[in-house]
Amino acid sequence: MSDAPVIVHADDLYAGYLPGIDILNGCSMEVREGELIGIIGPNGAGKSTFLKSLFGLVPIRTGTVKLGEEDITNKRADDLVKRGIGFVPQNNNVFPSLTVAENLEMGAYQRPKMFKEQMGRIGELFPKLIERKDQRAGSLSGGERQMVAMARALMMNPSVLLLDEPSAGLSPDRQDETFVRTREINKTGVTVIMVEQNARRCLQICDRGYVLDQGTTAYTATGQELLKDPKVIELYLGTLGA
Amino acid sequence: MTNRIDRRVVLRALIVLVVAAAAVTFLGSLGSSAVASTPEVASYAAGATSDATAGITQANTIHAEAVSDDGSTETNRYLQQFVNGIVFGLLLALASVGLSLIYGTTGLSNFAHGEQVSLGALLTFFFTTQQTVSIPFVPVEFTIGWPLIPSALVAIVLAAGTGWLQDRFLWSPLRRRRVSIVQQMIVSIGLSLALLNFIQWWFGAERQRLSTSIDTRIDFGMFEVGQSTLWSVSISVICLGAVAFFLLKTRTGRATRAVSDNPALASASGIRVERVIRLVWIMATGLAAIGGILLAIYDNAAAFDVGARLLLLMFAAVTLGGLGQAFGALVGSLVIGVAVEMSTLWLGTDLKYAVALAILILVLLVRPQGILGRAERVG
Ligand SMILES: Nc1ncnc2c1ncn2[C@@H]1O[C@H](COP(=O)(O)OP(=O)(O)O)[C@@H](O)[C@H]1O
Ligand SMILES: [Mg+2]
Repeated sequence: MSDAPVIVHADDLYAGYLPGIDILNGCSMEVREGELIGIIGPNGAGKSTFLKSLFGLVPIRTGTVKLGEEDITNKRADDLVKRGIGFVPQNNNVFPSLTVAENLEMGAYQRPKMFKEQMGRIGELFPKLIERKDQRAGSLSGGERQMVAMARALMMNPSVLLLDEPSAGLSPDRQDETFVRTREINKTGVTVIMVEQNARRCLQICDRGYVLDQGTTAYTATGQELLKDPKVIELYLGTLGA
Repeated sequence: MTNRIDRRVVLRALIVLVVAAAAVTFLGSLGSSAVASTPEVASYAAGATSDATAGITQANTIHAEAVSDDGSTETNRYLQQFVNGIVFGLLLALASVGLSLIYGTTGLSNFAHGEQVSLGALLTFFFTTQQTVSIPFVPVEFTIGWPLIPSALVAIVLAAGTGWLQDRFLWSPLRRRRVSIVQQMIVSIGLSLALLNFIQWWFGAERQRLSTSIDTRIDFGMFEVGQSTLWSVSISVICLGAVAFFLLKTRTGRATRAVSDNPALASASGIRVERVIRLVWIMATGLAAIGGILLAIYDNAAAFDVGARLLLLMFAAVTLGGLGQAFGALVGSLVIGVAVEMSTLWLGTDLKYAVALAILILVLLVRPQGILGRAERVG
């Protein structure tokens, strides 16, 4: 584990959508600056719910989330954007009737000046998007949409990026591209917390992984350790190919 | 950054407009032959049927060259109704654009939108009439009698204020408590009835005139239009243009479209969704008031239930154009306006709503997502 300062700290979260039903029951996480964290777990374990609760989109019932020293529990999403968190949801992660450029502009909504500055950086990371900037996002392919979604979340230059299954539904080539790109973004100094279905691939690139099962963070270790852990292999990697 | 509605959409809208006009003509001819079974109208209807069949080609070709010599008065009639339809459609659009924006950003089908239309017209009457007026619960009678334009402006501001008030104290708290959309819709039905009765109680049940001046009609050869109607149309076009400019060319407008697309993602992008929705309510109620005032001028007068009677046409227009698509509401209103006005050539005015509904069903059978609605690709 690196000894950089802790940037995101989730402590024993309980959260859920419907009154009285907790989807998360005891999720904790400690993320240090510059880390790439992978969260794996079976379908329906609450991975998306966990990310959404960090980002203020699912109400947290007990527990706290801290960004650095600041308590950000249940803060509004637009407020968290201002504080430097970016979020790419699992589904519906672009504005379909807006053009690619407009989608990116929305990403920098709070700081219109950032939009022009950031376009250069986005152009380097996603040259394809610049070609298609006047196309409606709804007409793009899944992979292209994923790029728009990531680029949009990067517009405000976030210090922490939350990614929910960025490789879902993509062809193997595109999946690889997504992982490589995520690593690149992380290398530029952005702390990344990613949820992934493709557990093996995710653990290969991440610094540390968390295993989430039935709404609880069951265990954490470095990616390499988890890859070799017999229990993880049996439960999550056994049937999944590379 | 370029923001344009792509040409295909405009083309598609035009095609549908023409098809709809043809469909009305066709339905009309069917309708009038059915009416022909009643003896008194038989001779008239028989005439109308032959006119109508000739009219199928004529009504669609706006180029009047195609008209045979003896058919010139006929063309006049068709063209006149077509023009009336466009006028009515443009005024209807002012009301429906707001309905569509509210639906788009909040998911709410606001049944009380009709009352916002009536309110605009009757508040204007309140400020402009020479009669004595009073405010509910205040036992003083007085006369205001301002000129029409300042009265209208004050009425629009007040009406937009009711939009702010509603969202601030009713809709926003309901959303915050995650009251379901169906429940909100039922609240809006209740609000609609309450407002309807309130407006009737305040302004009475009579039709009230906003202006007593006599309108001069301007002859364009093939058709004629009242001078005040020309003004109304110009104001409507300017307002609709301003809405389009707002939605396409301003940052807040683009954020409004983003909220329509996906409120959660808009919030995750840093947009203050609630603020956008507040603004939409203010705009929507303001536009409805403008629509109400212009319609009252176009119709010569307005009664407390003018909006309630328009509500169905507004919903038809919004659905027809593509739910939640602001430009869809414009196109839908034009189609409905033309269909309704042209249908009066063959059918009684009482059948207006039936015609609107027929067009709605026809279009939805062909394009379930509405004229401008898009079937999004998945994955
Ligand atoms: N919007 C929602 N309302 C109610 N329940 C939900 C909602 N979204 C997810 N859930 C429930 O929360 C649980 C965890 O879902 P999710 O966090 O999406 O799992 P994962 O991302 O790990 O597959 C599931 O049982 C799911 O049915
Ligand atoms: Mg998920």
